Amino acid sequence: MVKTIDLYKDYRVGNVLFPALCGITISIEDGGFTAIAGPSGSGKTTLLNIIGCLDLPTKGEVIIDGSNIKKLSSKEKADLRRMKIGFVFQTFNLIPVLTAYENVEMPLLLLDISPEERKNRIISILREVGLADYIHRKPNEMSGGQQQRVAISRALVKNPAMVLADEPTANLDSTTGKEILSLMRELNKKLKTTFIFSTHDQLVMDFADRIINLRDGKVVKDMTRGTG
Amino acid sequence: MKILILAWRNVFRHTRRTMITAAAISVGLAVMIFMDTMMNGVNNMASRNIIDFETGAIQIFAQGYYREEGVFPLDTIIENPIVIIEKVENIKHVKNIVPRVKFEARLSDGNDELPVLGIGVDVKKEQTVFETPNSVVKGKFLENDEDILIGTGLARDMNLEVGSYLTVITMDRNGTHNAYDFTVCGLINTGHPLLDRNAALISIKAAQRLLAISNGVTELSIKIDNNEKSMKVKQEISEVLGTDYELYTWKELNSSVFEISSGKRMAQFIIVLVVIIIAAVGIINTMLMAVMERIAEIGTLKAIGFSNFNVVKMFMYEGGIIGVFGSILGCFFGLILSLFITVYGIDMSNAVKDMDIIYPIKLIIKGEINYQMILYVFIFGIAVSILATLWPVRSATRLEPVDALRHV
Repeated sequence: MVKTIDLYKDYRVGNVLFPALCGITISIEDGGFTAIAGPSGSGKTTLLNIIGCLDLPTKGEVIIDGSNIKKLSSKEKADLRRMKIGFVFQTFNLIPVLTAYENVEMPLLLLDISPEERKNRIISILREVGLADYIHRKPNEMSGGQQQRVAISRALVKNPAMVLADEPTANLDSTTGKEILSLMRELNKKLKTTFIFSTHDQLVMDFADRIINLRDGKVVKDMTRGTG
Repeated sequence: MKILILAWRNVFRHTRRTMITAAAISVGLAVMIFMDTMMNGVNNMASRNIIDFETGAIQIFAQGYYREEGVFPLDTIIENPIVIIEKVENIKHVKNIVPRVKFEARLSDGNDELPVLGIGVDVKKEQTVFETPNSVVKGKFLENDEDILIGTGLARDMNLEVGSYLTVITMDRNGTHNAYDFTVCGLINTGHPLLDRNAALISIKAAQRLLAISNGVTELSIKIDNNEKSMKVKQEISEVLGTDYELYTWKELNSSVFEISSGKRMAQFIIVLVVIIIAAVGIINTMLMAVMERIAEIGTLKAIGFSNFNVVKMFMYEGGIIGVFGSILGCFFGLILSLFITVYGIDMSNAVKDMDIIYPIKLIIKGEINYQMILYVFIFGIAVSILATLWPVRSATRLEPVDALRHV
């Protein structure tokens, strides 16, 4: 479970302080498919980054599975990301010199997993996302949708407690975006992995079972829908 | 292991850049190897000249002689060399031992007079220790007591030829001036400036007569089977001869020459340092570019769970891979240059024709390759490349992942 308590984040640009988050208190249950929605500049990405231990809050606390990330060293945060969190980025962020297979393998190399087990997991997840025939392609040999599928595989291959996806469909056309979302939803149900993603896309919100609306760094609406 | 593969691919994102950087390193390393070959050649040549023409591996003097060697003290000489020769001959590692008589002399051709080092040599046995008999380039080696052998340099300076007459003037043990006439029997060219320009060789009998020292000699020179063992053999001989005699190895006798040579080492070291700094700047520049253009990627890797240590490791591997290429290239070119200079040498005779060089070398300098040094240079190149990445990669480790990711 992820919990944030009175979370603040300011960015300093020159001498001016921009508040990105202004007192966010939310808790997200395991296994959910949660959208953080809002216009650009509302603090979605910032919130996601802080939950993902990529960024530090100015004030407030984040508790992931009972541990307060404020008290973790940068090494311990790296460990937490390594073991429990998968990321999917708006720009896919695959490593260009590695093939689809190798990109997905990367997080497993940082965990203590036998080569055989690694291979099984990678093949199975790539098959799951429909890329069985593309495993030896490099990112520049794949379409955006395919790249994002690799990125999703990379996030899921280590069986993380949660996957954080920052605008996962923003760089994709609507059809592909929909496919990606269906895929994520499917994996969410099948693997019981918690998905938290930021979006300002109505389409994305349609898939979510909970939508947290942000505006100017504050929660303005928190809506839970029946699963379905 | 997989990080190494990742690093390998990263290095080949920019093949040209990698190769240029490696080439920069290789130039430095090649210079290092080349200079070492050259220095080894010069040093070994100097050592060989000293051993082969001047001192042998070990010299024996009467106690107290060496301290005043500069004035050739004829009252502290070895009066009865035969006894010592018999004692020393059978000591292990000793191959041969010959006497020499060194004295201060003036050479006169009737017009000019030139101070030289007179050397009386055992005409028959000289070649068992020294190479002088094999260095005759014109005429022949000493045969009788009227012959005098001079260097080609001295012959040029005094306008002498084989067959010319020369008078050797010296003062004998009793303080009497003596002058004997000799005929130039041959010219030698040893490569040792002392012998080629400033010495005259006569038979030991003639020298003993000139100096009125009967059977006495100023020194005994010993050839041994392995020059590296000089010190050990010297001690063994010392034990046999007792305290009436003093012994020195060729290194001890020429410490000043090897001091010059350590000075040269220092100069060599400074040049190498400069070259290495240039190479390091090259790799720092390349790695700095690599880090800057891949900051977002570093962010991604960190998001996946790469620790700073993993990131540093990846870049160190990349530096190391470039270093391996640089080292391979550098050692290859260094070796080629070294082989060239080992086989053909560099002819310095024009450069130093009229210089008074005290360094005992031939004027064609030939290198001598030290293969162990090449191995060190190889490792050194890689080490420098790895260490030079530490500074550029520092900035990558300082960024929070989110700041790195924002760099697109």
